[in-house]
Amino acid sequence: MKKTSVIAAMFCLAVAATTAMAASEHPGKESIEKSGYKGPETCEECHPGTAKAFLDTVHWKHASKVTNVDGLDPKKEYGMKNRVYVMCNGNDIVNNLKEIPKSPVTGKSKFTGCNTCHPGNHLSDVGSTGPEAEAAIDCLVCHSSDYDFRQRKAFKNEKGQVVMGQDRSTKAALSINKPTVKNCMTCHEAAGGGVIVKRGFSFTKDTDAHAAKGMVCADCHKAKHHKIPTGLDPNNWANDGVLISCADTSCHGTKPHKDADLNRHCAKIACQTCHIPRTGGAFAKDFTVWEQTPDKFYEPTTLKKEANETIPVYAWYNGTVKNTAHFIGPKGSRKDGKSKITPFKIFQGKAYYNKQTGELLSMDFAPPMSDGDTRAGVLSAAKTLGLKNPEKIAKEAVPGWQTIYFGSNHLVTKSKALFCSNCHAPNGVLGFKDLGYSDKEIVKLTSPELYMEKVAKKQKEEW
Amino acid sequence: MKKAVSVMVLVAIAAIGLLCFSGAAMADEIKMVGVITKIEIAGKDANTATATLKDNKTESLIVITVNDDLTLDKFKDHRIVEGDEIRCKYEVIDGKNVSKLFRKTAGC
Ligand code: HEC
Ligand code: HEC
Ligand code: HEC
Ligand code: HEC
Ligand code: HEC
Ligand code: HEC
Ligand code: HEC
Repeated sequence: MKKTSVIAAMFCLAVAATTAMAASEHPGKESIEKSGYKGPETCEECHPGTAKAFLDTVHWKHASKVTNVDGLDPKKEYGMKNRVYVMCNGNDIVNNLKEIPKSPVTGKSKFTGCNTCHPGNHLSDVGSTGPEAEAAIDCLVCHSSDYDFRQRKAFKNEKGQVVMGQDRSTKAALSINKPTVKNCMTCHEAAGGGVIVKRGFSFTKDTDAHAAKGMVCADCHKAKHHKIPTGLDPNNWANDGVLISCADTSCHGTKPHKDADLNRHCAKIACQTCHIPRTGGAFAKDFTVWEQTPDKFYEPTTLKKEANETIPVYAWYNGTVKNTAHFIGPKGSRKDGKSKITPFKIFQGKAYYNKQTGELLSMDFAPPMSDGDTRAGVLSAAKTLGLKNPEKIAKEAVPGWQTIYFGSNHLVTKSKALFCSNCHAPNGVLGFKDLGYSDKEIVKLTSPELYMEKVAKKQKEEW
Repeated sequence: MKKAVSVMVLVAIAAIGLLCFSGAAMADEIKMVGVITKIEIAGKDANTATATLKDNKTESLIVITVNDDLTLDKFKDHRIVEGDEIRCKYEVIDGKNVSKLFRKTAGC
C-alpha cells in the first residue's frame, strides 16, 4: 500500500502540475483580457485562418465522404447530418432543433434536435459556410476550462428564430487550453440519447486505463487544423480523413508485449479484443413505442446497462462495412488476410420501414415526444424529406428490427485484459465455431496444452 | 510556486483519501428519479455538495450528498442545474443519503 500511495501521490502531482501549467499558459490571455472576447475574430488575430478551416471538418459539417461502406454514393457526404439508423432514428435534417408541440397533458413544450451537438449557434447550422458561419463557431466549448453551461441552451430570439446559446464571456476566454475530457464530453458523453447510451462511453480512472494515467481525448485524437483523427467504427462513418489505431508506431506499435505469445496473436486479433473485454450502454430501443416520462413527455423505450456491464460480440473485421436496411456492421473473414477478430458493441433497434421500398424510415422526434404518436413523427420526417405520398408512407409503415455493430474502442484495461484461458478454455469468450474454425481446430484451440505452462507461471507470480 | 506545490500535495492527499475509503460501504442502494429543487455547493474548490430532489413517485423532498468529482464538476459549471430531472442511486451512510449515481435523464 505504501508504495502505491507514493506512486499515486507523485502521479497526482504530475497531473495537477500539467493541468495547472496548461491552464495558465495561453499566450493570448493578456490581449484577450484587454480587448475582451468577441468570438472567433478575437482568436483570429493570432490564429488566422482557424475559423475558416474549422468549417471544413466533421465537427462542423456532421458529414464527409465515406469510402468503406456498402451502397453509398462516393461523391456524396454522409454523417449525423443525413444518416438513418436505429440508435437515433433520424438525423440533423428531420430532427432540426425546434420547439416540440405542447404536451396535451401539461401544456408545456421544450426544445429538441440532434444539432444541439454542434458548435454553431443554429442560425449558422451544420455545414453552413461563409463569414457568418465563421463568426458563429463556439471555440470555447472545446477550449475553455471555465465555460458556463447555462449559456449553452436553445432559446428563441426576437425574430422567433431558434438559437443555440454559447458562453462568449471574456471570463471563459481567459481560460483557454488544449481540450480537456470534459470539453469533448460536452457532446460525446450523451451521444445516442443520454449519458453512456450509445457505447457505455465513460472515460474515468475507474473505467479506462488511459484516463487513469491522466490522458485526455486529444492526447490520442491529436488534431491538425481541427481534423480530428478517428478509427473505423462501422457506425461512425463521417471522418476527417485521418486515421488512428492503438498499433500506430507513435502509440504502441504492433509488438507491445514482452510476451512473444501475446505479440504473435496481434496478427489475427485486434488489440481491443483483449484490452476491451466489456462494453455497455443501450442494447435495445423501440422507436415505434415511446414511454411517458415523469415530466409527461415521451422517450423511445430503451433498455440499457452501465459502462463495462455488457460483453461484446466478436467478428472478423477488415474495415469495410455491410450496410442494409436490417443490418449495419463489419465485413471480413478468417481467410481474406486483412481481417482481425474485433470486439463490437451490439445493438438492436425497432423502427418503421417503408412498406413499398423496404427502406428504413426516419422519424421527427418532436411529435412523439409531445404525445407519443410515433407515426406522426414518420409523417413529419417524410414531409421534410419531400417523399412522395407522405401520409400513405406513414400510415402503412411497417415496424421492424435493425441490428447494428458499434466499434468498441475505449474502456481499455491492462489488468483485466484477456489472457490465454479466457479464450482457449472450452467456455472461452470467442466462439471459435462462429468465427470459422473447424471442429478439429477447435479441439486444439481449446486444449490447456496451449497455455498450461504459461498460466501456471502467471498464477505463481500473482501469489 | 511554493503555494502551488502545497496545494498540489493537498490535492494528491485528498485523492489518496478517496482511493482508500471508497468501496468500504456495503449498505443497500436506493433508486429514485426526481427533479432538482436546490443545489448547495460551497464554491469552486468544494469537494462535497448537496442536492435536493423531489421524488417523482412520492413527491417528497430528499437531500442527496454528492461527493464524486464528475458530478461536482457538473454542478460547478452548471451542466447540471436546478430543474433538471435526475436518475439517482444512493446509500444511507451515517444518516446521509450519499449518491452513487447522479445522472440527467434527458434522452433522444
Ligand atoms: C494575442 C495573441 C493570441 C490570441 C488573441 C489568442 N491566442 Fe491562442 N495562442 C497564442 C500563442 C502565441 C499560442 C502558442 C503558439 C501556438 O500554439 O500557436 C497560442 C496557443 C493556443 C492554443 C494551444 C494551447 C495548447 O496548450 O495546446 C489554443 C488551443 C489556443 N491558442 C486557442 C485560442 C483561442 C480559442 C483563442 C480565442 C479565444 C485564442 N487562442 C486567442 C496567441 C493568441
Ligand atoms: C459540440 C459537440 C461536440 C464536441 C464539443 C466534440 N464533439 Fe466530437 N463529434 C460530435 C459529433 C456530433 C460527431 C459526429 C458527427 C458525424 O459523424 O456526423 C463527432 C465526431 C467525432 C469523431 C469522429 C469523427 C471525426 O471527426 O474524426 C471524433 C474522433 C471526435 N468527435 C472526437 C472529439 C474530441 C476529441 C473532442 C474534444 C476535443 C470532441 N470530439 C468534441 C460532436 C462534438
Ligand atoms: C449529445 C450530443 C448528440 C446529440 C443530441 C445527438 N448526437 Fe448523434 N452523435 C453524437 C456524437 C458525439 C457522435 C459521434 C460519436 C459516436 O458515435 O459515439 C454522433 C454520431 C451520430 C451518427 C453516426 C454518424 C456517422 O458519421 O456515421 C448518427 C446517425 C447520429 N449521431 C444520429 C443522431 C440523431 C438522429 C440525433 C437526434 C435524434 C442525434 N444523433 C443527436 C452526438 C450527439
Ligand atoms: C470540437 C472541438 C473544437 C472546437 C469547436 C475548436 N477546437 Fe481548436 N482544437 C481542438 C483540438 C482537438 C485541437 C488539437 C489539440 C492538440 O492536438 O493538442 C485544437 C487545437 C487548436 C489550436 C492549436 C493549434 C492547432 O491548430 O492545432 C488552436 C489555436 C485552436 N484549436 C483554436 C480554435 C479556434 C480559434 C476555434 C474556434 C474558431 C476552435 N479552436 C474550435 C478542438 C476544437
Ligand atoms: C488512448 C488513446 C485514446 C483516448 C485517450 C481516446 N481515444 Fe477515442 N479512439 C481511440 C482510437 C485508437 C480510436 C479508433 C480505434 C479503431 O477504430 O481502430 C478511437 C475512436 C474514437 C471515436 C470513433 C467512435 C468509436 O468509439 O470508435 C470517437 C468518437 C472517439 N474516439 C472519441 C474520443 C473521446 C471523446 C475521448 C475522450 C473522452 C477519446 N476518444 C479518448 C483512441 C483514444
Ligand atoms: C491475446 C490478447 C492480447 C492482445 C491481442 C493484445 N494484448 Fe496487450 N496485453 C495483453 C495482456 C494479457 C497484457 C497484460 C500483461 C501483463 O499483465 O503483464 C497486455 C499488456 C499490454 C500492455 C502493457 C505492457 C506492459 O509491459 O505493461 C500494452 C501497452 C499493451 N498490452 C498494448 C497492446 C496493443 C497496442 C495491442 C495491439 C497491437 C495489444 N496489446 C494486443 C493481452 C493482449
Ligand atoms: C482473445 C482470445 C485469445 C487469447 C487471450 C489468447 N489466444 Fe491464443 N489464439 C486465439 C485465436 C483466435 C487463435 C487462432 C489464431 C489463428 O487463426 O491463427 C489462437 C492461437 C493460438 C495458438 C496457435 C494454435 C495453433 O496451433 O494453431 C497458440 C499456441 C496459442 N493461441 C496460445 C495462447 C497463449 C499461450 C495465450 C496466452 C498468452 C493465448 N493463446 C491467448 C485466441 C486467443
